[in-house]
Amino acid sequence: MSFDIDIVFRYGPLLLSGLWTTVYVCALASLLAVAAGLAAALLYGLPFRAVKLLCRAYIEIMRGTPILILLFILYYGGPSAGLTLEAETVGIVGLGFYGGGYFAEIFRAGFQSIPPGQIEAARMLGIPRPAIVARIQIPQMLTLIIPPSTNQVIILTKESALLSIITVAELTKNTTQMVNETFAVVEPYVAVALLYWLIIEGIALAGGALERRFSRAS
Amino acid sequence: MSEEAESGTMEGKPVVLVEGLHKRFGATHVLKGIDLAVEKSQVVCVIGPSGSGKSTLLRCMAFLDRYDEGRVFIENRLLGYRETDGELTRDSERNIDSVRSVIGMVFQHYNLWPHMTALGNVTEALRVVRKLGRREAEHIGMEMLGKVGLNDKAHDHPARLSGGQQQRTAIARALAIRPHVMFFDEPTSALDPELVGEVLQVMQELASEGMTMVVVTHEMGFAAHVADEVVFMDDGEVVERGSPDDIFKRPRSDRLREFLDTWRSRAI
Amino acid sequence: MDFLGVITSHYNAFLVGAAMTAVVSAVSIALGMILGLWLAFGLISRNRPLRRASAVYRSAWRGTPILVQLLIVFYLLPEIGLDVPPVAAAIIALTMNTAAFQAEIFRGGLLTIPSGQVEAARMLGIRVLRIRVRILIPQMMRLVLPALINETISILKNSSLISVIAVTELMRTSQQVVSVTYRPLETYMIAAVVYLAMNLVLARAGAWFERRHALAAR
Ligand SMILES: Nc1ncnc2c1ncn2[C@@H]1O[C@H](COP(=O)(O)OP(=O)(O)O)[C@@H](O)[C@H]1O
Ligand SMILES: [Mg+2]
Repeated sequence: MSFDIDIVFRYGPLLLSGLWTTVYVCALASLLAVAAGLAAALLYGLPFRAVKLLCRAYIEIMRGTPILILLFILYYGGPSAGLTLEAETVGIVGLGFYGGGYFAEIFRAGFQSIPPGQIEAARMLGIPRPAIVARIQIPQMLTLIIPPSTNQVIILTKESALLSIITVAELTKNTTQMVNETFAVVEPYVAVALLYWLIIEGIALAGGALERRFSRAS
Repeated sequence: MSEEAESGTMEGKPVVLVEGLHKRFGATHVLKGIDLAVEKSQVVCVIGPSGSGKSTLLRCMAFLDRYDEGRVFIENRLLGYRETDGELTRDSERNIDSVRSVIGMVFQHYNLWPHMTALGNVTEALRVVRKLGRREAEHIGMEMLGKVGLNDKAHDHPARLSGGQQQRTAIARALAIRPHVMFFDEPTSALDPELVGEVLQVMQELASEGMTMVVVTHEMGFAAHVADEVVFMDDGEVVERGSPDDIFKRPRSDRLREFLDTWRSRAI
Repeated sequence: MDFLGVITSHYNAFLVGAAMTAVVSAVSIALGMILGLWLAFGLISRNRPLRRASAVYRSAWRGTPILVQLLIVFYLLPEIGLDVPPVAAAIIALTMNTAAFQAEIFRGGLLTIPSGQVEAARMLGIRVLRIRVRILIPQMMRLVLPALINETISILKNSSLISVIAVTELMRTSQQVVSVTYRPLETYMIAAVVYLAMNLVLARAGAWFERRHALAAR
């Protein structure tokens, strides 16, 4: 087994373009996941049985099904239900709603951590619900939810490697192409593992910085 | 001041009117037909053993808990429900907010927002609900904090304030929106004994300024001195009501006598 | 939609696929537990090189996508002269992955056990390995059971990835069913339900064990 660094450099542009796709797909999917999770957690808090049940079902399905199956349902099953999406869109939507199931639980724990009396005080003053969420609940739960959220974004980034299976030209897909063209195995995979490691260390660092910033504020 | 309040009775309708209020939590019947009228500038104190339904009554009067039967009127407007042909249907959040907007509420555990300063707590509703600019809101906020004697603590977070200071901040927060009536739910019960006085003093000043108040309390001295009417509750019912003298000096029912005896023996 | 048609005509295939998924997951979790326990003791060891090595292993296997890990194991084993069938490569990759996650779970559990217990046992002349097996591991297992159940669910879901190296588990079975029925939506939804059901059973079993231990501890 020998390591030919030249191959990696020759395929540098391909790897970098894959890296870029991975980064922006993951960024968009993470945003969608946070939004979907927040929405589900808020709906879960409403006093309607049916809504609660629907949210529970959404959360359990997302958490109990492999992301690969969800991607296949969207990508291959979508067209027969009249929903034809680009692979990359499927990736963002699929990863986003999948992650939403996990973020919903993170937010739910966050909302539960705020004493209900604080919300009652706000309601008595006529403060509207959106302002209660944005100005009273979320600022207080940041220290609690940032660490698991960071972790969730990391998991989501790792899961994004699966988008290669539905032909999205992200990091893993481009690496596979490199393997197929060069017949080299060691170099591409070592390179790709290092790149993922870098992205993930970057997310962990950013999450840590956020955490420090908000724990100082409170 | 009690004479003023009584003359008010003759003129206008009550600020708060409760008729035949019932509340159940599942199978437990917590309020069993409560009637109550609070006139302008009147101070009504609600006393009674713990678990008798005092907090629930106050929470229903603010519609923090929904009531099952009866009516709550705040300044002649039905709170929480819309009535059509005698049928009650839940009102919209917007209407509930609007009827509630004249109530200021003070809780046993203050319920301050810990991530905001004292001033931030007081100005929050002014900025978000009244949509005042920062300077105007802070001007009013400082005025309110001054009223409760906390000018110098404006920029401290609740965690740095004593219990008494926190409760006074909570009073200032409720006053900021200029309520017509204030509800207090055992405002001094969570306080160390030496901090009770400063909160009661603020409340007494409010009363003497003519604020309409409903106070659930275990501070019999406060009730005796400040209340225009004292209401004794037990087991979800109003057992007895009257002037402080009637209630504390001439109790008619055994239940009230027993309650006062227990309280006196504990007070010694 | 024709769920019934797909199920009735390929009932056996789904069953065999699900069984394969269950077996591969169970074997990986069990082997991963042994490796994970060694790693956990490595992580809290006083021996600095051992601690470092364990930490690097943990970081690498937790910090890269499991799909990349699977491809590396699958392609690299032949490079170093080990020709193993796909299912073995799959089990090796899943085992090495879950070992890293389980090690972290076990480490957390071990840290909560008062060190006085170990010292007391050492004073009695009991050997280290025996202390671990008879005293530490049984106590810790009870504590980490919920986390372990989550990890098992995670591996069960991730086992769907081994379809890419041609192991005929539930996911690949579904792909094969699609290639004859041309009904991707129904087929993948059926597979999703099977995964959900397996995970539900796991979660229920976990809750049952927890209750039993909670009662026993009283
Ligand atoms: N949210 C609730 N759910 C169920 N029971 C409640 C709830 N709130 C109050 N109760 C019950 O209602 C009764 C009256 O409570 P409360 O109004 O708090 O009494 P008080 O304030 O006079 O001590 C008690 O028996 C209490 O257990
Ligand atoms: Mg009470």
